[in-house]
Order: sequence, then C-alpha cells, then structure tokens
Amino acid sequence: MTAPAPLELDIRALLARGEEPFAAIMSAVDQLEAGQALRLIAPFRPAPLFGVMANRGFDCADRERPDGAWEVTFTPLGPAPDTGLAPGSAPGAAFWPDPAQVLDLAGLPPPEPMVRILETLAAMTPGEVLFALLDREPMFLFPELAHRGHEWAGNFAPDGLSYRLMIRS
Amino acid sequence: MPGKQLSPWTLAWFGAAMLFLLLSLATAMSGAVGPGDWSRGAGFAAVHLFTLGWLCLMVMGALVQFVPVLTAQPLARPRLALPALLLGAAGTLALAAGFLWLDGHEAMRPFLRAAPVLLALSFGLTAAMIAPPLLARASRALSEVRMVLLALVALAALWISGTAMALQLGGVDRMPDILPEGLPLHVLIGIGGWLSLAAFGVSYKLFAMFLLAPEQTGPVRRAVFGAAWLALVAMLGAGAALLAGYPVGAWVFAALAVLLPIAAGFYLAEVARIWRLRRRPKPEGNMLWSRAALMFLALASILAGPGLWQGGVWAEAAIFVALAGWLSLLTLAQIIKITSFLTWIQIFAPRIGRSPVPQVQQLTDPRTDTLCLMLWSGGVAAATLSLLLSWPSVFRLSVAALFLAALAVAVELVRIRRLSHLDPSLRPASLPPVIRPVPVPVPQPEIRT
Repeated sequence: MTAPAPLELDIRALLARGEEPFAAIMSAVDQLEAGQALRLIAPFRPAPLFGVMANRGFDCADRERPDGAWEVTFTPLGPAPDTGLAPGSAPGAAFWPDPAQVLDLAGLPPPEPMVRILETLAAMTPGEVLFALLDREPMFLFPELAHRGHEWAGNFAPDGLSYRLMIRS
Repeated sequence: MPGKQLSPWTLAWFGAAMLFLLLSLATAMSGAVGPGDWSRGAGFAAVHLFTLGWLCLMVMGALVQFVPVLTAQPLARPRLALPALLLGAAGTLALAAGFLWLDGHEAMRPFLRAAPVLLALSFGLTAAMIAPPLLARASRALSEVRMVLLALVALAALWISGTAMALQLGGVDRMPDILPEGLPLHVLIGIGGWLSLAAFGVSYKLFAMFLLAPEQTGPVRRAVFGAAWLALVAMLGAGAALLAGYPVGAWVFAALAVLLPIAAGFYLAEVARIWRLRRRPKPEGNMLWSRAALMFLALASILAGPGLWQGGVWAEAAIFVALAGWLSLLTLAQIIKITSFLTWIQIFAPRIGRSPVPQVQQLTDPRTDTLCLMLWSGGVAAATLSLLLSWPSVFRLSVAALFLAALAVAVELVRIRRLSHLDPSLRPASLPPVIRPVPVPVPQPEIRT
C-alpha cells in the first residue's frame, strides 16, 4: 500500500493577516488520513511546532525554499503503540512531570468541570501538568484544549465510572 | 483526535425543524386534519410536515451533533451536514406538495416522484457522516450506539415503505402496490422504529449527563434492545411480505401490540434507574419536562394495544400521543437546554480563564420555558381527549394551543442565541449569527511547546 500524497497547508497568508496558525495546523493534522504526511509552508522555520508534532508521533524534515519560505514535512511514525489512552491523547504523556495541580471534578454538572479545568490551566506555568478526575469524557473540552495549544492524555478508570485526564499547561 | 465536537450546522437543523413544526401546526389549524379526518391530501401534508420536517430533521440534526459525543469519534465528512439538511427540507416540502395532488391539484403530482429521491439523498448523506463513527469497533458495543443503529435500519425501512406508497400515488409503476395495507406498517416503523429508538439511544447518554448519573449498561438495556429488535423484525418481515405481494397477517399487529409496550416499559424502567442513581438532587426543567414526555410514552403504549386491535379513535389517539406527547415534548424540553448549552460553549468556552463567564442557566428564562412546555402538554392532553371523543372544535383549539407553545419556544430559542436573558455586563460585544455558529474571535493563544 502506498502512502497518500501529503496534505499541504500554507500558513503564510494566515500569518500575513495577523492570525494565529496553531488551530489551523491542528485542524489539518486531524484531517490527515492514516499514513498521510503534512507539508507545512511557513514564512519562517516553525521550530516550536517540532516538539508538539513529535509528541503526536510525527517525524519532521525541513528545508528553506529558494523563495525564502520554509517547507516542513511531518511524516507519521507509524501506528502509535497501544498505550490504553483515549484517541487524541499525547503519546509522550508518560514522560510528563508529576501533576502540579489535582482537581476532583466528580459530581459537577457540565460545563462546570470544563470551567474549573480551563481556569486552573490559565493560572499555571507553561509545562506544568494538571490532573483531573471527571464523571465522563469531557467531549466539549477537547476542542478548546486543542485551540489553546494544550496537550492532554486521558482514559476511563477500569470500572468505567470515572475519567482520568492529564493536561499539560 | 476528537476535535471539532460542535457540528457547525446543528442550529440550522434545529431551526429548520422548528419552522416545519410551526408550518405543520398552522396547516392543521387551518382544518387539514381532525378527529377521523386524516386522509385528505392536506392532512397527509400536515402529518408529514410534522413527522418528517419537525421530528425526523430534528432527530437527524441531533444525531449529527451527538454521535461524536456518543461514540467519542469524530463525524466522518462533516461538510455533508448542510447539503443533507437542505435536501431533507426540500424532500419534505416536495412530499407535502405532492400530497396536495390527492385534493385535486394535478400539477403537484410530480412532487410525489421527486420527494423520495431528495429524501434518499438526505438520509444517505447523513448516514455517510454518522455511520462510520457508529460502526467503529470501539463504539459498536455501546448500548446507546446499538439502539441508534437499530433506529437507522428502521429509517431505511421507513423510506422504502414510504417510497413505495409515494410512487404508487405518483403514478409510477415500478414498485408493488402496498396501499392501503402498507400505511399502518409505515406509521409503526416511523414512530416505533426510527423516531422512538433514536430517542431511546440518545437519551441514555443525555439523561445520564444532565442528571449526573453513572453511565452503566445493564440487563434492562439489553431487554429494551431485545424487545425493540424483535418488534423491528416483525415490522420488517411484514413489510417485506407486503412488497412481495402477501397480505400482512393479523398476528403481526398482535405481536407488535405486545412487543412495543414491552420495549417501552423496559425503557421506562431503565430511565427510572438512571433517575434513581442521579447525583443531581434537583433536576433542571429539561429533565422534569422530559419526565412528562415519558408519561406520554407510557400513555401511548397503553393506547397502542386497542389502537392496534381496533384502530379507529384508539389508533388516532395512540399515534397523536406518541408524536406530539412523547417525541415532541421530549424534543422541545431538551432543545431549550441543548441550545443554551451549545450557545454557551460556542461563546464562553474560549473566554474561560480570560474573563468572567456566566453560568449556562443564565442564558435561559426558566419561567418562560415552563409556561411554554406546560401549554404544549395541556394542548396534547386536550387534543388526545378530543380525538378519543371525536370533538373537532376542541381538537382545533388544542392545536392552536400547540402552535402558540411552539411559537413561544421558537422565540425563546432566538432569545437564547442572542443572549437576551443575560445581564448586559456579561454579554460580549459581538455575537455569532443566530443560525450558523462561526467561531467568535477571541484573544489568541501563543504556540506552546
């Protein structure tokens, strides 16, 4: 089976308009088919992205084009090992530091858990980890985390009655 | 990755369904239907504006929105949401127009041939979005997903039976003639199959969510599924026999008169279990009024027995209670909550931690909501009684009450979208459009590593 052609995303126009490209990039990553690479065209070498993409299981190769733009190809490193984490979880979460904040949000009506988590994250230092215990999978929180550039890893407890979530600030 | 959980066109589905509800009730108010009077073209039009335009589009919109929540998988091809909605609305209008041929409007007949095609495209596009996450290996075992899948099988059967009848009326001689024997089966597949089973599946998840109850499956859910499966097999078997030219045996209706109330009874027992296990001491209005809808389900199940045996006013009342009491009241009660929740997520989720955010409850006006739903429930009760006693004038008055209640809910939904109930100090300077929820510009985060 041959890999599908890379998905190309040019963020130069977006940046020229003064817009933030992170959400667009993550949205493009979400659209990738299995085995498909992402080719990103940027006006500068997007070094901060390399770590984020490595964490999500992508290898990267970059080159400067004759026109001065940078072309970075993120290639998926094959299927991630089954870590027992929910789809969308950051594969590198096992190497994160111990949680700096722990929230028990069981028994709170939605969207209260989301409010508590995002308010706590906003007050944390980048790189710190938040651990939260919830009644259910916070489906409406995940897009907001992606939008704000937070990585997360989560799964149900073995009894299926609570959801454990780690988020990196 | 479960990324975009808010389908951008959800509110367009809800809005279109609300318009169809108002249109169908207005048609009914004008005298298109009444006790013992459902078979004129205008009557079929009113009924289909209600069942297809209001309930079916609402259920499809709800599935497009909530299948990712049920399955923890993203929708496949979310861009199909708008074409699916437009085709569904066009198909509904075409079918309603086509039925007017029965009243002597000759020019309307071709619409009976066009409607099934438009509806097939709409259902097909919707299935293309929701079937892959529903059929994913991780989701197939979930009780709510299995119920929705059963409902989708019923939807296919509903379309086949409806198409056979519409084409027969439209003068196309391609499918076997199944009128009039096919009509009761079509009604049963629509209400007892597609609409009710989809409502069962989605409500397992939403009720647990709104009541803060644990999401556990158990023997009762398997019993609901078993009874519903058997009922659907009986309906599909009878439908297939009819298409093959055999009459529907009386045993089918006898079996359904037992199986459908059993499925409903197990479902009610399961909801009672969720209710008992709730961690929220005081359920909100949406759940209290859903409880009233569940009582209408119980009433419809009781009326279904004589309705299936004797037909006549019992069948009319059973069908009316199921459509207007159980399915519509459930939808109206939840739509207020869901619209306020989605509006809150859309406008305030990006602001959490950056500025003060209101509570979801502040977006609604519980008093207005209670009055609307009380009026609706009263209208359903009075209309049911008027059907049982064959009182046309009371029926018409009751439908007027339903229209007023629906109009008030529609106004309330627009007010929720415009944040009209919210203190102006908490209202953002710019609001998203009422229908299309394009993201609101917010202070942008920096790229984090």
